Amino acid sequence: MSDNRIDGYARALFEVARAEGNIDEVEDELFRFARSYESSDALRNALTDEKIPAAKRQAIVEDLLGGKATSTTTQLVSMVVGSGRGRDLPAIVDKLVARASSSKNLEVAEVRTAVPLTDDQQTRLAAALVNATGKQVNLKVVVDPSVIGGLVATVGDTVIDGSVRTRIDQLKSRL
Amino acid sequence: MSVLGIIAVAGRVAGETVTTDPQGHVITNSAYVPSLTEIVWGGGAAVVVIALLVWKAGPPAKKFLAARTAKIQKELDAAAADKSAAEAEATNIRQAKGDIAAERALIIAEAQAQADALLIDGRARLVTEVADLEARAASDLVAAQGRVGDELRGEISRLSSAAVDQVVNGTLDDATHQELIEHFIAHVGAQS
Repeated sequence: MSDNRIDGYARALFEVARAEGNIDEVEDELFRFARSYESSDALRNALTDEKIPAAKRQAIVEDLLGGKATSTTTQLVSMVVGSGRGRDLPAIVDKLVARASSSKNLEVAEVRTAVPLTDDQQTRLAAALVNATGKQVNLKVVVDPSVIGGLVATVGDTVIDGSVRTRIDQLKSRL
Repeated sequence: MSVLGIIAVAGRVAGETVTTDPQGHVITNSAYVPSLTEIVWGGGAAVVVIALLVWKAGPPAKKFLAARTAKIQKELDAAAADKSAAEAEATNIRQAKGDIAAERALIIAEAQAQADALLIDGRARLVTEVADLEARAASDLVAAQGRVGDELRGEISRLSSAAVDQVVNGTLDDATHQELIEHFIAHVGAQS
């Protein structure tokens, strides 16, 4: 899909969520779903298989998100998957998150961690990233076991890598 | 009939009286010297006979002798020619023999030269091949050393990586995770 089309979908989803008045919550739910979508081959295959009817793919989305996310989030994901754009869902969501953050003069700070962060840790981490980058950040935490330990924070083009995975890779490279 | 008989016959023809014995032999006056008449008539007859012989038999005899001489000369010439031919043939044979010897010497010299050239070339090629083999062996040795070193380093790296993974996974408990997170937050917060 072209960038223009992805931008178009992201703008449409953003406007719908903003109109519904729960943009922050929807944005967060969409971000988490997008990361789950990226890390799960089975989910990705199920939502992008053209042989599966669109109604059935939408039913899968509703089964996954029903009761766990807002109806707005569920309907938006269902709409994207039903229109055959499931493959571009992460890119669309990333654009939407960036647009939402930009509307609040925030920079998206994606943090990957091996274990979940507490609210206190997220608050202190956000403050630390603001201090380090000089930008107000919209913190998005992704639990990624491949990190092994520590954290990787990405703010715009800046990557702050304190992961055990990277240190092990560096050690292996030296070996 | 003897000559004396002929003379006697001639004397009778000429009217000379010839005395004979009862056996018919002519009796001369002397046992050794005939009578003058006999000498004259005998001599004349002899001259006539000789003249006749010279006149009639001389030319054929000369012709015969000349022919015989010519024949002998011809045979001598032929013999001389045969001798010359034989000598020429002998010369040719000797020359051919000399040519064969020279040819043999030339062939032997060429063969020797070729053998020498082959020997020199073979030695040079052998030296080059030995040098190539030595260089290749040295190169193979270096490559083998490098390969073994690479394999060893790869194996060490693989084992080390596996060891690191095992050690890290074995030591990363929840407390360590929290410590890493707190360290990261403190480290990022210290940056400005």
